[in-house]
Amino acid sequence: MALLLLANSIAVADDVATTNNADLSKLADMDINQLMQIQVSILGQPQSVSQTPAAVSVVTQDDIKRTGAQNIPEALRYVPGLDVAQVDSSQWAVTARGFNDIFADKLLVMQDGRSIYTPLFSGVFWDVQGTMMEDIDRIEVVRGPGATLWGANAMNGVIDIVTKNAEDTQGLLASAGGGNVNPAHVAVRYGGAINSNAFYRVYGTYDDYSANQLMNGDSANDAWQVARGGFRTDWNPGSANTFTFQGDGYMNWMNYVFGFYDPTSPTYSTPIQNAATEDGGNVLGRWTHEFSDTDNFKLQAYYDYSAEDLAVFNEQRNTFDLDFHDQIAVGNRNMLNWGAGYRITADTEKDNPMIQFNPLSENVNLYSAFLQDEIALLPDTLSLTFGSKFEHNDYTGFEFEPGGRLLWTPTKRQTVWASISRAVRTPSRVEESITLNESQRVPVGGGNYAYVPMTIEGNTSFQSEELIAYEAGYRAEPLKQLSLDFAAFYNDYQHIRSEQPTADPTAYYLANDLYGDSYGVEATATWQALSWWRLQPNYTFLVMDMQTRTENPADDGLIGQIEGSSPRHQFTIRSSMDFPRGVTFDTDLRYVDSLQSFQIDSYFELDARLAWQINKNWEVALVGQNLLHSEHPEFGPTYVNTENGRITDIPRSVFLKVTYKF
Amino acid sequence: MNSFSKKSRRQPAGICFLLGLLLLLASVNQGWSQDGSPSEYQVKAAFLYNFGKFVSWPSNAFAQADAPLVIGVFGSNPFHDDLQRIVADKKIDGHPVVVRLVKSVDEAKSCHILFISASQLTAAGNLAGALHGVRVLLVTENDSAFESDGFEINFVLEENKIRFEINNKAAMQTGLTISSKLLALAKPPGKPNL
Repeated sequence: MALLLLANSIAVADDVATTNNADLSKLADMDINQLMQIQVSILGQPQSVSQTPAAVSVVTQDDIKRTGAQNIPEALRYVPGLDVAQVDSSQWAVTARGFNDIFADKLLVMQDGRSIYTPLFSGVFWDVQGTMMEDIDRIEVVRGPGATLWGANAMNGVIDIVTKNAEDTQGLLASAGGGNVNPAHVAVRYGGAINSNAFYRVYGTYDDYSANQLMNGDSANDAWQVARGGFRTDWNPGSANTFTFQGDGYMNWMNYVFGFYDPTSPTYSTPIQNAATEDGGNVLGRWTHEFSDTDNFKLQAYYDYSAEDLAVFNEQRNTFDLDFHDQIAVGNRNMLNWGAGYRITADTEKDNPMIQFNPLSENVNLYSAFLQDEIALLPDTLSLTFGSKFEHNDYTGFEFEPGGRLLWTPTKRQTVWASISRAVRTPSRVEESITLNESQRVPVGGGNYAYVPMTIEGNTSFQSEELIAYEAGYRAEPLKQLSLDFAAFYNDYQHIRSEQPTADPTAYYLANDLYGDSYGVEATATWQALSWWRLQPNYTFLVMDMQTRTENPADDGLIGQIEGSSPRHQFTIRSSMDFPRGVTFDTDLRYVDSLQSFQIDSYFELDARLAWQINKNWEVALVGQNLLHSEHPEFGPTYVNTENGRITDIPRSVFLKVTYKF
Repeated sequence: MNSFSKKSRRQPAGICFLLGLLLLLASVNQGWSQDGSPSEYQVKAAFLYNFGKFVSWPSNAFAQADAPLVIGVFGSNPFHDDLQRIVADKKIDGHPVVVRLVKSVDEAKSCHILFISASQLTAAGNLAGALHGVRVLLVTENDSAFESDGFEINFVLEENKIRFEINNKAAMQTGLTISSKLLALAKPPGKPNL
C-alpha cells in the first residue's frame, strides 16, 4: 500500500500521465496482422512505480521465489538502498540509508497495513515476523521518509509486506525441504471458496534452524524453531465493497547463551544458557469501499499480541489500532488523500538484574491524522504533491511531519522527481523507561582491555529524533530491454540518541545530543539481455558523518558504532535464466564493504537457485546461499560487548525444497 | 538545555531550491515526444477488441440487434482505461462495444468476451467452470489456466510480441464459432518454444 499511496494510485490517475489518445486510436484501427508485429515494452516496474516521486522498489513473488528467500530479511537482500545483514541464526540487522543495528530504529515495517515494528525499541524483531513466503504478493519498499503518509518511525524508509488475496491462493500448496542451516521446513496452505464471492485460506509452517559457530570456533548456541499459522478471508459482495479478515499466530523456541550482567564477575558478565520462547498473534479486519474510480475509502482495525520470555527481557504487549483513509479527486487537477487513526499499545515488563523498567507497565496512546494533495500542474507532465502527517503521542505530544514532492515526466520513457520531507522518530519504551546494566570493554593501551560496569538510564524527557531529507531521482527506459532507476539523497539529522555522562563515571543517561548528516546514491538497472536471461545490477553508496554536542567517550563510541556499521559501498547483481521444460536458474552475487565498528572485512558472496517445475503440480528447487566461503561474518550483536571472536559466522548453506500444488 | 549554535537549520535553503526548480520546470515547453512503443496491455486490449470481429455468438447471446457487445475484465484491471478508450464508439456487427469490470460470476455471464489476467490464477479456474456452457469467449494469459480450465484463447509473449493460442474445441463446446482467419493466425497450441 505504501508506494501505491505515494503515487495516488487509482490506476486511472497514473495512466493519464503516459497514455495518449492518438496512440490508442492508432492501435484500435490496426488489424490483427499489424498488432502481431508490434514490439511491446514489457520491462520496468509497473506503472504505479514509474510514476511515483520517491525511491521505490517492489519485490515480487517471482523475486522471492527465484532468490530462494525463506524469510523476510532474505527477500530484502537485493533491494537497492537496503542494508540487510545476518547477525546469527535468527537475528538480522536491517535498515535503509544508515544506522544499521539489531535494534535499527529508523525503518517502518508493516504487513498488510499492520505495523510490525515494536514500540519497545522502535525496531523489528525479525525472528517473530514472517508468513508463508508463497503467499506474499509483493513487498513494497520506499527508501526515504514516508512520514507524510505513515507518520513517526518512517524516517529512513517504509516496508510493506502485502499478502495475496485469498482468491489468488486457492487449492492445496505444500512444501517440504531441508538443508544444513534449515534441516526441517514444512509449509502447508489450503484455500477454498465459501461462495462465488468469498474466499479463504489457512496455512501452517514449521522450521527448525541449526546452530552456527562464532568466529572463534565456539558454538553460537543460536539454534531455534518456529511454528506459524494463520488464515485470510476476502469477500467481494458487490463491485463497490471488499472485506478482508485475517489473522496469524507464531511461536518461537530458542536456547541461547547470553553474556548476562554479573557484578560479581571480573568481566562483569557471565554466560548463561537460556531456554526462551516468543509467541504472539494478530487479527485484522479491513473494509474498502469504492464510490468510483477516483473516490474510495478504507477502514481498518487490528489487534496484535506479543510475548517474549527471555532471561534478559520479558514482555507482554497488546496493541489495538484503528485507521481510516480516504482518497478523493477534487476537480480534475487535484487528488486528495486524507485520513485519521488511533493506536494504543499496552505493555507489562518484568525486571531482571540486567534490565529494569520504570514504570513496569505502560499504556501509550497515539492519535494521528494526515492530509495530502496531488496537483497536476501541467497535466500528464508535472505534478506536485504536498501534505503532512499530524500526530499526538503520550511521550512527546504534538508532532508535525510535512513533505513536498515533485514529479516531472519530460518524455514517455523518462521520469524525474524531487522531494523535501521532515520525519521524526518518537521515543521508544526503552528510551523513556529503561535502566540497563552492562559490561563495557574499554581499551587501556598496549592492546589491552579492561572491563568496566556501565549503567544507562532512560529519560522521560527524551525528545523525538528529527530528519530533514532532500531527495531526487531519475528513471528511464532508454531501450526496450533496459530500464534504469537512480536516486540520490542528503539527510540532515538532529536530536539523535546519545549517551550523556553524569557525575558517576559509570552511569549515563539517554539524551538527544547526536546530530549529523548522510548522503548517498542508489542505482539500479534491469536488462533483459536475451529473451530467456535477465540481469539486475544494483549499486548503493552511503556516507555518514555524525557528531555530538557534548564531548564524551560514550558518545564517541556511539558515533564510531553508527558510522562503522554501514557499508560505504554495496553492489549486487541478480541473473535470472529461463530454460525449456520449466527449468529456471538464478544466481545472485553481492559485495558488501567493510564494517569498521565490528572489524568485519568486505566480502563477496553468492546465492543460487536451480529449480525444475516438473509439471503443473510438482516443483523441485535446490537453493545455495553464501556459497563463496565456508563461512563469513556479516554483523555483530550490540548489547553484548563484542570482541571479534563473539561474532557469529554465517555458513555456506544448501537447501532442497519440494513443492506440491493442487 | 542543549546548545543549538553549531548547526544552522538547512530548511530555508532547501525550500528555495524546490521553488527554483518548480519555476524552471513550469517554463519548460510541454514538448515530450511520442517515441515510446505501446505497452503490453495496450496491445492486448486492441487484440480483445479485434477478437470480437472474428467470433460469432449464437443468436440468443444478444437481446436485440443493437444490444451491446460486452468485453469483461475479471478481477484486477491491467488495462486501466486503455481498453475503454480503444473500443469507444466502436461497433461490431451493429453491436456497440462496451467494457465492464466484472467481480462476480453473475456479472461474468453477461459478457461476450471475458479476460482474466495472470494474477487471478485460481479464480480463473473456478470462473471457467462456472461459465461452462455459457457463450462467453474466455481469454487468459496464463498457460496452466489455458491448458486445464477450458479457456478459448491464451495470450503468449514471444520476443516482446503478442501471440495467441486458440482452443477451438472449447469454443465449439461453448457454442461459439471462431473464424478460420483467426484460427490461421493463432500459434499451434502446445508447449511454448524458447
